[in-house]
Amino acid sequence: MSGEASGADFNSLVFTCLGDAALSVSTPRARALLAGLRDTPLPGVLEVVPALMRLTVLFDPLRLDAGQLEAALRGRLAGLREQPDGPGAGGAARTLVVPVVFGGAGGPDLEWCAAHAGLTGEAFVSALCAQKLEVAFLGFTPGFAFLTGLPPSLRMPRLDAPRGRVPAGSVALGGPWAGVYPSGTPGGWRIVGHTDLSLFDLSRPEPVPWRAGDHVQFRAVMARSAR
Amino acid sequence: MIEVIRPGVQSTVQDAGRRVRALGVPAGGAADAAARRLANALVGNAPESRAAGLEVTLSGPTLLFHAAALVSLCGAPFEVALLGADGAGRPFAPWRAVPVQAGDRLSIGGTPAGARAFLAVRGGLDVPEVFGSRGTDLRSAFGGVQGRALRAGDRLAWSPLPGVRPARAFVSPELRTPVGPDHTLRVQVTPDATPDLLDALTGQTFTVSAQADRMGARLSGVVAAPHDPARASVPNVPGMVQLPPDGQPILLLPDAGTHGGYPTPLVVISADLPRLAQLRPGDRVTLRPVTPAQARAALWAHERGLRQAEWALRHWYAGAGSAPLCCAHAD
Repeated sequence: MSGEASGADFNSLVFTCLGDAALSVSTPRARALLAGLRDTPLPGVLEVVPALMRLTVLFDPLRLDAGQLEAALRGRLAGLREQPDGPGAGGAARTLVVPVVFGGAGGPDLEWCAAHAGLTGEAFVSALCAQKLEVAFLGFTPGFAFLTGLPPSLRMPRLDAPRGRVPAGSVALGGPWAGVYPSGTPGGWRIVGHTDLSLFDLSRPEPVPWRAGDHVQFRAVMARSAR
Repeated sequence: MIEVIRPGVQSTVQDAGRRVRALGVPAGGAADAAARRLANALVGNAPESRAAGLEVTLSGPTLLFHAAALVSLCGAPFEVALLGADGAGRPFAPWRAVPVQAGDRLSIGGTPAGARAFLAVRGGLDVPEVFGSRGTDLRSAFGGVQGRALRAGDRLAWSPLPGVRPARAFVSPELRTPVGPDHTLRVQVTPDATPDLLDALTGQTFTVSAQADRMGARLSGVVAAPHDPARASVPNVPGMVQLPPDGQPILLLPDAGTHGGYPTPLVVISADLPRLAQLRPGDRVTLRPVTPAQARAALWAHERGLRQAEWALRHWYAGAGSAPLCCAHAD
């Protein structure tokens, strides 16, 4: 059942059984496969959960077994364009602009990060805001998005010891990722700024503003004088 | 209306849970899904109604009913007392449909074994849905009653359904989720299970530690765990056995985070997932690998029993009350 890696990158494909009710598929075309499964769900599939170049498919084992599901997913993949995920893979990507107050009390690690990158604070912020990021997947806490697309110079090592509580709205960098904490939680990433944008609001029709595949751009704004 | 007199250790509104892991939201829902299904069936709540009830933990609440209702309690063998408004005791049997009157007090005490039970109310508890579920997410504080466990003074309404004659049936003991102190959980291996790891995980008996909640049950007993800080976070699935670097396995329950970065060498089979709800600190756990075919056979056996009971009770409430009951036995 598990284990097949073959050929060129975009064809590399590994299926992994996770118990009797989930099948994980690793493929560079995970994003496009996810979009296809959202548009036209497979019978017996309950949920499809993305991670980086990987989808985990939770299914009803009373309706489907892993072998049947694997065959169906291979069929779906065969119908996709022969290219790995890139900008636009997975269909209707939206761009979300996140207004950020960089530095100051809401961004205590900005100066450290700028120094680490060998830049002034201002140049660091410009470089970060110039970058088009992408939501790789959501997880950790409701609404938390792992944002990919940071150039190596802007990638920051995580803190040696996580902070006990990172305020909601903190914009942070950790390893290859950027992220925004939707709620106050412990966190080990470097906090460079703060956004008032709410990332988990149950009073909205769509409580979480982004999903895997969406584009994200930070925009520097001035701190309001009232604060 | 139900008024909470005493909240119990951790009583939360739960139902069948959510399916929005892709937004980072845990599944939630009653940990003992078999108890939830049977309790709802006993009071005539159809599976498709997604009725919410109360999950009670270790020591249950005292509830004052301000109106007549039909309830049932399924799960661990909690002590229960039902007192009328006049202070006189009234009969309350678990695993049955029980009519309660306005002014009745239902006191759910402790349980000598297991950890959780599900109290169903005919019509289902009426709290708003969040992401398609009325269940309480304690960590992110939404769903249920203000996203938290019950407190004294809380009031819970339920959706009215037409009155019925309570089913004169009880649930056959073989459908009840087994309770401890000794548990054998059947597992399937994943590619993370190296031969050494598999030997270590399946060759010893673990003890459930004090760190056992709706997110997971930590086992004490140490396994030499691989440590790979560069490992990517991947989605969790129900029943995963997660192995953090300290070598104490964690069995993932419904409120577990949606993604994790630790190796997950084993996954508890679907048929045994309700058993995770009944693990309490001090219980002993052994993990026994089975083949996919064995997992499938076990699930079908489990599901067949539950469906027969649901069908028989649905038949009763559809008005054919004298029909022979199958796995839910008539008096």
